[in-house]
Amino acid sequence: MRFIKYTNPDAPSVAPSARLGGRFYGRTDIENEIDWLFGAALSGIAGSALGGQFPVDLYEDKDNTYVRAELPGVTRDAISVEIVDGSLSIQASRKDKSGEGENTVSFNRLVSIPDDVQADKVSAAYENGILTVTLPRTEKSKPKKISVTVN
Amino acid sequence: MSFFNALIPAFNGAAPEGDVIPTRRPQYHVAETDAAYSLTVNLPGVAKDGLEVTDENGELRITGKRALPLPDNVAVLHRESSDALFELVLTHDNTIDSEKIDAELKDGVLRLTLAKAESAKPRKISIS
Repeated sequence: MRFIKYTNPDAPSVAPSARLGGRFYGRTDIENEIDWLFGAALSGIAGSALGGQFPVDLYEDKDNTYVRAELPGVTRDAISVEIVDGSLSIQASRKDKSGEGENTVSFNRLVSIPDDVQADKVSAAYENGILTVTLPRTEKSKPKKISVTVN
Repeated sequence: MSFFNALIPAFNGAAPEGDVIPTRRPQYHVAETDAAYSLTVNLPGVAKDGLEVTDENGELRITGKRALPLPDNVAVLHRESSDALFELVLTHDNTIDSEKIDAELKDGVLRLTLAKAESAKPRKISIS
């Protein structure tokens, strides 16, 4: 796996991004579902699995944001995770030997991530077919307790 | 309708199969050669201890429980996967030899080689 961060000011954003309260959410759920349907319909269900799409979960706690992707059976060297201007790009490919021949399925997804990420400290682990990317939050965005004295 | 439900992952997790524990069917693919069937099942998040493969009464049953690594106290921002158990039941009517099933689980993919039972293999019949 390799990590690359670069900004691309001329690239149009992938989706109309409506950030809720400065945090997250690029696409709406219904847009994701329709993309999924098209991907699945156009590339066939059996064998070539998901048409390049895979489920992604997003979690956060006070120190990190976590992106978890279901990528069963992909080769570790073929996983590439990049940070592109506020989004995380996950690419992977998998070789399937099914009887006669070998076909390669590739997966590709761009996930919006919050702004407060320390890009140089991002790490990822791949286990049992699940890729977990840990994105540490920047110090200044961590929730801090402010004590207030009341007279 | 169920065809579309199977395609949309958000519906997959929420639809129970009639019993109390929600299960969902994993993606799988079966290929056939003269001597055996090879079954590939996508089980992301399932490790060896969460996996169970049984063959009974002509039915091959695969159940998988996901062990998902995440620290405690996380807030969910967006969920597309589901925590439901994986369950796959395939009937084979004794065309496979249960003693000779070979299974390998790697990176969330289970590959089974199911040797065909002797009676199911193509046989030449000689004519006297």
